Amino acid sequence: MLELTGLTAGYDGGTALHPLDLSVPAGSVHAVVGHNGAGKTTLVHTVAGLIRPSAGTVRLDGRDVTGLPAHRVARAGIGLVPQGRRVFAGLTVAEHLRLSYRPPRRGGPARPSVWTPARVLELLPRLGERRDNRGTDLSGGEQQMLALARALLGSPRVLLLDEPSEGLAPVLVRQVHELVTTLADEGIAVLLVSPSPARAVECARTLTVLTSGRMTLRIAGEEARTDASALHTALELTPGAA
Amino acid sequence: MDLLDAHLVPAVDGVAFGLLLFVVAAGLSLAFGTAGVLNLSHGMLYAIGAYTGAALSDGTWGGLALGLAAGTAAACAAGAGLSAATAPLARRGHLAQALLTFGLALVGGDLLIQLFGADELPVRVPEALDSSVRLLGHRYPAYRLCFIVMAVLLAAFGTWVLTRTRMGAAVRAAADDPQMLATTGHSPRAVHTGVLAAAGALAGAAGVLGAPIIGPGPGTSENVLMLSLVVVVLGGLRSLWATLAAAVAVGEVQTLGVSLVPDLAPYLLFAAMAAVLVLRSRFAEPAAAHGPEGPPPDPVARLRRHLAARLRRRPGAAVAATAGDSAGSSALLRASSRREGAGYPSISLPFSLPRPRGAARRAAPLLVLLAVLAALPWVLDAYTLSLAGSALALGLLAVSVTVLTGYAGLPTLGQTAPFAVGAYATANLAQAGWTMGPVQIALSALAAALFSALTGPAVIRARGTTVLMITLAVGELTGAVVNRLKSVTGGADGLVGFPATQALWGGEGMFEESELYTFALVVAAVAVAVTLLVLRSPAGKLLTGTRGAEARMRASGHPVGRYLLVAHICAGALAGVGGSLMVTVQQYLSPADVGFEIAAFALLAAVIGGTTSVIGALMGAGLIVVTRDWVAGSWPGHGPLLLGVLFVAAVYLLPRGLAGLRGGSARSGPEPGLPRPGEQHPPAPDPTPAGPAGKVSP
Repeated sequence: MLELTGLTAGYDGGTALHPLDLSVPAGSVHAVVGHNGAGKTTLVHTVAGLIRPSAGTVRLDGRDVTGLPAHRVARAGIGLVPQGRRVFAGLTVAEHLRLSYRPPRRGGPARPSVWTPARVLELLPRLGERRDNRGTDLSGGEQQMLALARALLGSPRVLLLDEPSEGLAPVLVRQVHELVTTLADEGIAVLLVSPSPARAVECARTLTVLTSGRMTLRIAGEEARTDASALHTALELTPGAA
Repeated sequence: MDLLDAHLVPAVDGVAFGLLLFVVAAGLSLAFGTAGVLNLSHGMLYAIGAYTGAALSDGTWGGLALGLAAGTAAACAAGAGLSAATAPLARRGHLAQALLTFGLALVGGDLLIQLFGADELPVRVPEALDSSVRLLGHRYPAYRLCFIVMAVLLAAFGTWVLTRTRMGAAVRAAADDPQMLATTGHSPRAVHTGVLAAAGALAGAAGVLGAPIIGPGPGTSENVLMLSLVVVVLGGLRSLWATLAAAVAVGEVQTLGVSLVPDLAPYLLFAAMAAVLVLRSRFAEPAAAHGPEGPPPDPVARLRRHLAARLRRRPGAAVAATAGDSAGSSALLRASSRREGAGYPSISLPFSLPRPRGAARRAAPLLVLLAVLAALPWVLDAYTLSLAGSALALGLLAVSVTVLTGYAGLPTLGQTAPFAVGAYATANLAQAGWTMGPVQIALSALAAALFSALTGPAVIRARGTTVLMITLAVGELTGAVVNRLKSVTGGADGLVGFPATQALWGGEGMFEESELYTFALVVAAVAVAVTLLVLRSPAGKLLTGTRGAEARMRASGHPVGRYLLVAHICAGALAGVGGSLMVTVQQYLSPADVGFEIAAFALLAAVIGGTTSVIGALMGAGLIVVTRDWVAGSWPGHGPLLLGVLFVAAVYLLPRGLAGLRGGSARSGPEPGLPRPGEQHPPAPDPTPAGPAGKVSP
């Protein structure tokens, strides 16, 4: 369960994310949609500890992880699949897996599921075929798989997915979203960020629309699947809102 | 075969020397490539190991083992300390960190001399190794063979750790993308510290084991740093094999080269480095460290804010008075910062002609400075006046550093090279009977410009901190040549007793300090005026544009490389004028006048001055000369220590002093100086935060 209360963040001299409340129960997908510059990546990076929030809290199963450095947030159980994949250029696939694998500590908080390199390769067999290739030698889809594997090997309780379908062929996009559903069914809380609502609607329990750093709509997935007009209205670029 | 036979011993020596350099340079390359710290105190870490090893060596195996353990541990701790010291500067980019390590190297070098004395320490190797063995019919020291084995083992172990272990993978991942390393649960900070500590340990171990080869002495740090910089420049970053090949090549040049062609050895290193740099398209610089976002820390501003907040919080009647006070003082500060801002306005107001009133206001500080300087002969005694004369010469050097660092974006530690060319040109001209001042100046400037034209292609390919590394090597190699080329430079004895310079045709030779000073002032004023005019002309704007947005300049069809080369040549000529002036004022010339310390002085003056301010550089030079003289009088022999402390203080306390390098700063307003890719701070990953227009109508 990921809970954000009044989370606010920004960069030098500007606020990119205005106070936002959001919660993702374990085993569900919460989709955040919005245009370029809406503050989606800022949101994800703030939760992951890469940006220090200027106000608000981030709670993970009740534990306050606000303002912790990124590696401690990761150890607490928040995994990040970043926009643009950002796999390590100089490391082979095998090294990625070895570096990212962190078996949960004994006596630590319970994990929805424990991931080992073997189990990850079972889920993503393509990576096994490319064990000895370096990060930059992989195709976009393979890099996306690797970025996902990297996040899973920490056995996360919360998974942050930042535009996972960016630049992928349609067939791969469908695969990625099927994977997201599978992972949520395992009990992981998934925060999915996407510029377009099309795919997000299918798997999300709740959707949030961000416009210029503020929430402009929150709608249940069910409702959006039956009638997407509210969603499209919120995403329309109206003069003065852009 | 005879040739091989005669040179076998130096050739094997070259391998030993090369492996020693490899172990040292691998640490330097690792720290730069993965932690982003160009560690200019790396030579000092070697010296720590060498001194410790020499002090504990007593001719037994136990002594060697103890020395190895203690030396490695001490250098490792020093490396970890460096990591802690550079941590607060992480957001300010590589240059600030490099400058800090440079200051620490000066301080550390002085402390080592305090601890161990200024003489070279004798090193005793274990008796079993203190013999010679037969090697293909030659006698060869057993220790060196043993050293070769140990160095190979050390190198193999390091390579194994880096390429085969999880720790090594974390180090390489930190070099690729520290933020993503953090998201896998590893602390990039810890990796950073570990890398610097490991680099320190490598250098320390190399120091202990290599002490019989490069012994501990006052020049050790500098020598080792210079050679390992050359190795890193030759070998590039991130490929240990290339570093190894470069190290052995440098080792062979230093041993086999010296025995084959003794006169050409220093030039060989020069030539090899220049060739590699010119051939390679671009020397890659590691990505800037990704840290949490936020404004760069400015301790002075923070203190000021903190104090202001304190004052405001005071209750009751005191409020009115103190608030008035703090408002007054902050108004004053604002006013002064506005005035300082006016010191380098051409970059904040591109493409707009200076309004007459603005021009007058801008020229005012320079005119005031000129008036004060012109009045000095009536105020100061002869000794102080000659000191002021050399301050002017150094000031010109500092201005040339400022032009390169602040305007062309090429931070340089090697500007003493053209300075030396100008100085020796003038001294030799005077000896040959050409004593006419303007002729001396013009020919010295020409010689320095030619020299800079030759070294330019090696320098202008690189950007950011790498330039620091390359220019440092260029400066050091020039220093080596100066010491070697006795017929022209007089070697270590220097040149003295050449005829005095005449200010103008028909004049007498100048001997009086006031005459010399006036001559120096006139020349310096003309040189600075010309520099300022050029910098404010369209040519200066092109240079600023090149520094700020090189890709855009290229895309608009500007030959960026040619601009930088021209800037390099002009800065070289300016430094040559400075060198010429120094000789005229001092009436003698020694290698120390164009040495490493002077290079450091010049960069420090530019840093204190704010790197884009010509007047700041002049003031910085004056400040340094005065302090140095004062220290030399009251606390002799501690020049480097003071210089180091000043450096460290300037880097920590005057981050705005580096504004020109970092790009946009609060004070200089809408400066077009976007940082170079290498110096860039981590861009906001979602670089389009809601602008001021981002109002939502819900």
